[in-house]
Amino acid sequence: MKFLALTVPLLFLLVFLYAAVKKVRVYDAFVEGVKGAIPLVVNIFPYIAAMFMLTELFERSGLSAHVCSFLAPFFEWCGIPKEIIKLALVKPFSGTGATALMSEVIEAYGADSYIARCATVCYGSSDTVFYVGAVYFSSVKNQKLGVGIAISLFCSFIALVMGCLLCRIM
Amino acid sequence: MNGIFLAIFLLCGGYFLIFNPASFLSVLLGGGQKAATLCLSLLAVYAVWSGFLNVLTKSGLGQKISKLLHPLLKKIFFIEDKEALECVCMNLSANLLGVSGAATPFGIKAAERLQGLPHARYNHTALFILNCAGVQFLPTTALALLAAHGAQNSAFIILPCFLATLVNATVGVILLKIFVKKDK
Repeated sequence: MKFLALTVPLLFLLVFLYAAVKKVRVYDAFVEGVKGAIPLVVNIFPYIAAMFMLTELFERSGLSAHVCSFLAPFFEWCGIPKEIIKLALVKPFSGTGATALMSEVIEAYGADSYIARCATVCYGSSDTVFYVGAVYFSSVKNQKLGVGIAISLFCSFIALVMGCLLCRIM
Repeated sequence: MNGIFLAIFLLCGGYFLIFNPASFLSVLLGGGQKAATLCLSLLAVYAVWSGFLNVLTKSGLGQKISKLLHPLLKKIFFIEDKEALECVCMNLSANLLGVSGAATPFGIKAAERLQGLPHARYNHTALFILNCAGVQFLPTTALALLAAHGAQNSAFIILPCFLATLVNATVGVILLKIFVKKDK
C-alpha cells in the first residue's frame, strides 16, 4: 500500500515539472483549470439533488426493504449472499450510501469473512449507474441512455455473480 | 431517465402517503441537504483535479497519454475528433487509476464534446457503459475500509474485484455492439 500512496504526489510533481520544462505558466494554467470547477459543480447540483431526494425517499419509505425481501430468493439462487442484497440494490443509486452499507457489513461479519469479501466485490465491481448517467450527461440535450442503463445494470449484476463466485473458489 | 424517476418517485410517494405522510417533506429536505454537502466537497475535489488537468493538457502530456490508449478505443468508439477522443482517454485512464475525482470533469467534457459529432448516441452509450463498469486496478475505497476494520489479508479482494469489473466492461461492450447501432 506504500506504493499506492506514492502515485498521486509523484503524478503531480512529474506533470508540473514537465509543464515547467515545456515553458507552460503553471500557476496561470492551474488557476484557469480551477475556475472551470465552479460551473461544473453548479451544473451537476440539480441532478445530484434530484437523485439524492429520490434515494432518500426510496430508503426511508421502507420500499427498499420490501424490494430486498422480494428479490432475496433470486439473488441467493445466483450465489449472492442475502446479507449484501441491500448493498447491491443501493450501489447503482448512491456511492456514499453504498460505502456506508459496505462498512456496516464488514463490521458485522468481520473483515476476513466471505460475506465481507462479497460486499467489497459488490462495491468494487461496478460504478453508481444512475449517478454517472445524471452527472456525466447533465449538459447533453435529449439524452437517450435508456438502453445504456439497461445494459449497465445487467452487466453489473453479471459482474456481481462472477465476483461472489470468485470469492468462493479462490 | 424521466420514466424511471417518475415511476420510483410516485411509488415511494404513495408509500409515504399511506404510512407516514408527516415525514415526506423532511425526507426530501434531507436528500437536498446531502446533495448540497456532497457538492461542496465535490467543489474542493474538482478544484484540485481541474487545476491539475489543465496543467496536464497545456503541457501537451495529455495528448501523449491518450495516444497510448488509441488502438483499444478505436475498436470501441467511433470518434474522429481529436479533442473528444482525448477527453474520453483521460476519463478512462483516471478511472483505471482510481481517481474518480479526476475522471468526472473529463467525462462531462467528453459527453458535451461528443454531442455535436457523428454517432453521438452510440458514443455516449459506450462512454456511459465503460464508466459504469468502473474498471479499476485497485479498489482503493474497499481496501481502505477492509484495512480499517483489521483485515488480515485485505489484498485478497484485488483480483476478484478487477476480474469482476473486467467482466462488467466486456459484457457491456458486447451488448453495446449488439443492441446499439451506429447512426447512419
